[in-house]
Amino acid sequence: MGEGTKRNSAPPPDLMRERDEVLQSFSRGAKLTEQFMQEYSRIREHALDLEESNARLRAQLEADDALAKLLGKVERLEQERQDLLRRTERAEKAKVSFDERFGEVENEFASLANLFVASNQLHASLTPRGVVRRIKEILAQLVGAEAYAMYIASSDGKELVPVASEGVPGELLVPLPLEGSSVGAVVHSRQAVIDEERETNQIDFERPPVIIPLGVDDTTVGAIVIFGTLEQKPRFSHTDFELFKLLGQHAAAALVGAALFEQAGRRLPGAEAFRDVSV
Amino acid sequence: MSEYSCLVVEDSPMMRQLLVFALARLKNLRVTEADDGVDGLKKLASAKFDIILTDINMPIMDGLKLVKRVRSDPTHKDTPIVIITTEGASEDRQRALQLGANAYITKPIQAPQVIATVKELLRIE
Repeated sequence: MGEGTKRNSAPPPDLMRERDEVLQSFSRGAKLTEQFMQEYSRIREHALDLEESNARLRAQLEADDALAKLLGKVERLEQERQDLLRRTERAEKAKVSFDERFGEVENEFASLANLFVASNQLHASLTPRGVVRRIKEILAQLVGAEAYAMYIASSDGKELVPVASEGVPGELLVPLPLEGSSVGAVVHSRQAVIDEERETNQIDFERPPVIIPLGVDDTTVGAIVIFGTLEQKPRFSHTDFELFKLLGQHAAAALVGAALFEQAGRRLPGAEAFRDVSV
Repeated sequence: MSEYSCLVVEDSPMMRQLLVFALARLKNLRVTEADDGVDGLKKLASAKFDIILTDINMPIMDGLKLVKRVRSDPTHKDTPIVIITTEGASEDRQRALQLGANAYITKPIQAPQVIATVKELLRIE
């Protein structure tokens, strides 16, 4: 190589072009890489979003499932509650019915006890005075009568003579004609008169609320007249009606039996008196 | 075996029988009967009772005197006493309550009322 030969340090144009192309290519690669990174970042964020969304949906599904289970349980409990309410209602109805029946039985028992005691007492004496005392006691203590009188027919059958009374003024205690008096009419008809429409605790001597005919076998021998009851007894009860029947059927028989026994000198009949009673 | 004992003081055999019938509805209640106040005191001297039912109007010794005697006796001073009166005898009723009677029943007596009163005083369910 000579001295006069200048060395050219500039790269040949081909290399320059090639370099530029490489640089351009690199620049495109860098841009693509940058775009790729951006896209990657975006996709990653999207994936995270999806994961979060997925987690939320899963939680939602689980919550919905639990809710469905709870709703099912609530429905079952509601059915059980309704069932219990129906059973309670039935039990309450049964209890009310039982209480009512129990009350009825108790009242029936009380009524039977009154009737038993009255019947027992009516036949517990063999003196007319004792029988009358018991009749008065039944009227006063069991029926709650405040003013009353008992009449027996005279032997000629024309009058009803007062034989016992309570709360009746003396001037009113006079024999009543069997014909033409309200008491006489009851004795004739043999049908008790009981006024259930009005309150009986107002004493009324003109229109007594109760007249009971007294019978012995098929004969009516007198009557019990109740003019009024105690203040706390404005109405007659079922037991009272039964007591009226009892008095109507047994009071006179007890009284007549006691009178006959007294007339017989209180001598008890011997066995011969019952010789022809066998049936 | 009887859990409670009751003394019924009443001169009328009918009323006494009725009270005994009513009280028979209460299980575990033994009833002793007395004809009047004096008889009642005799029964009280020989036994202790959980409750006493007494009429007011009685011969020999009436219910008021009986209530007074029972309340002055340390053995029976806390024994519940139920008096049986007529509606009109409000003064006697007030007097009996003042003397220490615990409750009253008016005649004509009703078995359910007798039972309810005794159950309440004896605290029987």
